[in-house]
Amino acid sequence: MANDRLSGARDRGVSRRSFLLGASALSAAGWVAGFSGGWVLRPKWAHAAGPIKMGIATDITGAIAPGGNANWQTAQFTVQKINDAGGILGRPIELILEDTASDPGIAVGNVRRLIQRHEVDVVLGGITSAMREAIKNPIVRRGKTLYIYPQLYEGQECTEHLYCTGPTPAQQCAELLPFLIKQGNKRFAMPSANYRWPQLLNKWARDVIEANGGEVVFEEYYPLDQLEYSATVAKIMNENVDHVFNTVIPPGLQAFTKQLYEAGFHSKGGTLSCVYYDENAVNYVAARELEGVYSCLDFFHTVEDPFGQQLVADYNKMFPDTKFLFTAGSAATGMYRGIKLYEQAVIETKGDLDREAVSAAIDKASIAEGPGGPAKMVPGTGHVAMNMYVAQSKGGKWNVISKAGMVAPDECA
Amino acid sequence: MEAGVKLAFDILAFSSIMVLVVAGLAVIASLMGIFNLGHGEFVLLGAYTVYVFRELGLPEWMGILMAPFFLAALGLVIEASVIRRLYAAPIIAMLATYAIGLIIREIVRGLIGGQYYAIDEPISGTFEIGGVSLPIWRAVIIVVTLTVMVACYLFLTRTTFGLQIRGSLENPALARASGVSTTRLYAFTFAFGAALAGLAGAMMVPLFSLSADLGVRFLVQAFLSVMLGGVGTFEGPIIGSAILGAMVPGFQWLREIPFVVDYVSPVFAEVLVFVTALTIVKLRPQGLISQGRI
Repeated sequence: MANDRLSGARDRGVSRRSFLLGASALSAAGWVAGFSGGWVLRPKWAHAAGPIKMGIATDITGAIAPGGNANWQTAQFTVQKINDAGGILGRPIELILEDTASDPGIAVGNVRRLIQRHEVDVVLGGITSAMREAIKNPIVRRGKTLYIYPQLYEGQECTEHLYCTGPTPAQQCAELLPFLIKQGNKRFAMPSANYRWPQLLNKWARDVIEANGGEVVFEEYYPLDQLEYSATVAKIMNENVDHVFNTVIPPGLQAFTKQLYEAGFHSKGGTLSCVYYDENAVNYVAARELEGVYSCLDFFHTVEDPFGQQLVADYNKMFPDTKFLFTAGSAATGMYRGIKLYEQAVIETKGDLDREAVSAAIDKASIAEGPGGPAKMVPGTGHVAMNMYVAQSKGGKWNVISKAGMVAPDECA
Repeated sequence: MEAGVKLAFDILAFSSIMVLVVAGLAVIASLMGIFNLGHGEFVLLGAYTVYVFRELGLPEWMGILMAPFFLAALGLVIEASVIRRLYAAPIIAMLATYAIGLIIREIVRGLIGGQYYAIDEPISGTFEIGGVSLPIWRAVIIVVTLTVMVACYLFLTRTTFGLQIRGSLENPALARASGVSTTRLYAFTFAFGAALAGLAGAMMVPLFSLSADLGVRFLVQAFLSVMLGGVGTFEGPIIGSAILGAMVPGFQWLREIPFVVDYVSPVFAEVLVFVTALTIVKLRPQGLISQGRI
């Protein structure tokens, strides 16, 4: 009898899960404009105290959907791994998804549901800084819930009970820029999209460049969807720029890199770096324009680390033929790290899910293994020290050039 | 000299893209009195056709050639199923085209997973004029645009069908009384406009990249071009789009002037395009060309 009920529950769980996967694939593909109730991914087994409720607020639809879906898949992947291994101290994790629809206005209402209706114990998600700003209030302030933000970003987010598990400007610039200057690049150009991330990242980058004897020829901000860059490219060519530190983003990005390539910048020995380029870049940048480009992230698929490679292999097995890869640029690494750090924190509190207790524990939490290596929360800062890798694109692959161990985030100190 | 050649070429290339995008919109707006708010998505579908051909392992140029035909067929279907029923209510027709555009855009977004895709030009590389190396594909776009515009002009002025189109534009009731099937003519016009949009999308996608919002980016500028040039003529919007297309890179080059650069940021240059265009519209509300001359 008990067995029957158990197996019945298991069957339901599986079918629900497969339904959910199908539905999320559909909505991921943009077919469902948005869902009012959110999706719940129930664990296959139960615990007397009930499951730990983990809310995921991310962009399943709209312009940021590629990153949001990679996040959602990573959350499912990581949680399944934890649940398969017996949950956190025997309690399984239940995942609840709310689509933030790439629109901060829509997000606020949807995220509130995570707190009010589902009473989640922790929320992870958000890709853009605008989204983080929009959802941190309903979660952290009014919702009194722990919030983990997984994406690489511009820094300066020092809200209490908000933890950032992606790389900061200090981490992305500290290794890459001195390396580039040592390579003989002296004159830097900084073409940028006109919003907060490039502005704050460039501030860091400029300091590092000038401290290492380099020179910034120009730092310019363009409308996000500008499609014509001939004047910018002409300036880069005329001013004999050695290196372009690019923070222009799609859709402007493609027009810019193409015009730069066609003007002969690469063939004259100029180099380019872009710190959000990851394994997805081959899709949206033409192969010849990507050749020789540098990036600096916390993980590349080519990093020689058996744990990370196994993660990618397992992820690809769970989501065969997925368009949404397990990459650093789309915050998959930050999402994995965030969930695992939360797991460590809950183990530390012996299962106490109270925000203050978990927050105090996560502030000192660390994981020994993860994509790219270990991760350690720097106490009192809400940011994570992690390994950073400088890589260069060669023939569609990122060749790792150097590794910096446990780089400090240098935020909120 | 070098900078001059480069500037002229860049202006010409971007103008050509704008002209190609606007031509289809202008043909439909002028002849049928319907502002096709789905025009941007027709452009997107032209670009998407090239992507589909590439995914099927076929060469890109074949996709570029086929895109106008595919879009013409789609235009016929949409005209017969939706637009035809709404000629009496242009505002509702406009909303209907918006809905169609939205459906197309979100379907394409679904099909490409919301990602951006780089598409290679069939002929890549550069050539030299006066010591300046210029990209071949942009030159191809300039040539194709000129050819298409000349062909359109000749078609409208020298053929019987063109005469019927001009006649229906002038006075639809009289045209019908004279035995011209305006229904057939409108269907053809809509398909033709869609085909031009498809060509525009297919030609320009190698310069930018395929994403679901490719068409939306051009829609506002395209409408402004039509306003600038004047509705109801063929050459008005074409000239309007050429001017608008020239201002976009042109104003960015303003920043090369030593004194001006301190005052004009790239964002401001973009705003300046709209301010200038709207000022012209204000001064000449009837458009640059106020009467149908062809």
